Amino acid sequence: MTEGVAVPPAILELTREVDQARVDRYAVAARDPNPIHRETPEAYAGPFGRPAAHGMLVLGIVSDLMTRGFGQAWAETGGIKVRWRSPALTPVVVTVRAELKKHVEGTVTYDIVATEAGGETLLTGTATVRI
Amino acid sequence: MAHSLQFSDLQKGHSFARFPFLVTAEEVAAYLESTGESPDAWREHVPPIFIDALAIAELLATVAIPKGVMHTGQEHQTHRPARIGEPLEMEMRVSALSERRGAVMAVFEADLHDTDALPVATMTISVMVLPEGATV
Repeated sequence: MTEGVAVPPAILELTREVDQARVDRYAVAARDPNPIHRETPEAYAGPFGRPAAHGMLVLGIVSDLMTRGFGQAWAETGGIKVRWRSPALTPVVVTVRAELKKHVEGTVTYDIVATEAGGETLLTGTATVRI
Repeated sequence: MAHSLQFSDLQKGHSFARFPFLVTAEEVAAYLESTGESPDAWREHVPPIFIDALAIAELLATVAIPKGVMHTGQEHQTHRPARIGEPLEMEMRVSALSERRGAVMAVFEADLHDTDALPVATMTISVMVLPEGATV
């Protein structure tokens, strides 16, 4: 964890594999048992043809990235705004990248994008934190 | 699951849920293990996106969301960290509701505050309900 970041990093990046076992554990921990996220007939008959990871699980990777970059400042002042662009079909390797957009009066804003290994964009948005 | 509200009951501005909110250390540990995050940064505080996930769980428990719903967007602003084991309260309302070509777009706002009514976090959850038979 980085405490008291004086000069914000220009780029932050984090890659994590999201397999079905992780999604199943997340479904319990986050109390979201929607069958489209699990190995169920509903998932295979659904719009994606197979299970899709919870979007909030992908967003959790973004939060982890910001935690690694800003530590306690993220916990105390973090803000995030995202739109999901496509489903993360399991198993999937997710890379989250944050690129510094602006640094004004102690608040930094990053453009956020999450992609899967094939290049498909899963999520875009911005994250802010006071440093 | 018995829901207290149908999706069709919702109206813009409708405040539909107010409930105690307390997250235990065990719940945080299970969440972090599932997402793959290190617990080192979250010995005292609740990870912010976990708060959002629990708000969504409450939304799903309260409102009968139709099949075909898509979670399209999420916003979160931390005002101050939520402490593990701290008794808080969450209030949820419908902040926007619209229909376009049969698809319904709804935005839910959740405010998390402490026992002094001071803000802890605010969140918005955007969803789209596709018309029956539509695919993405």
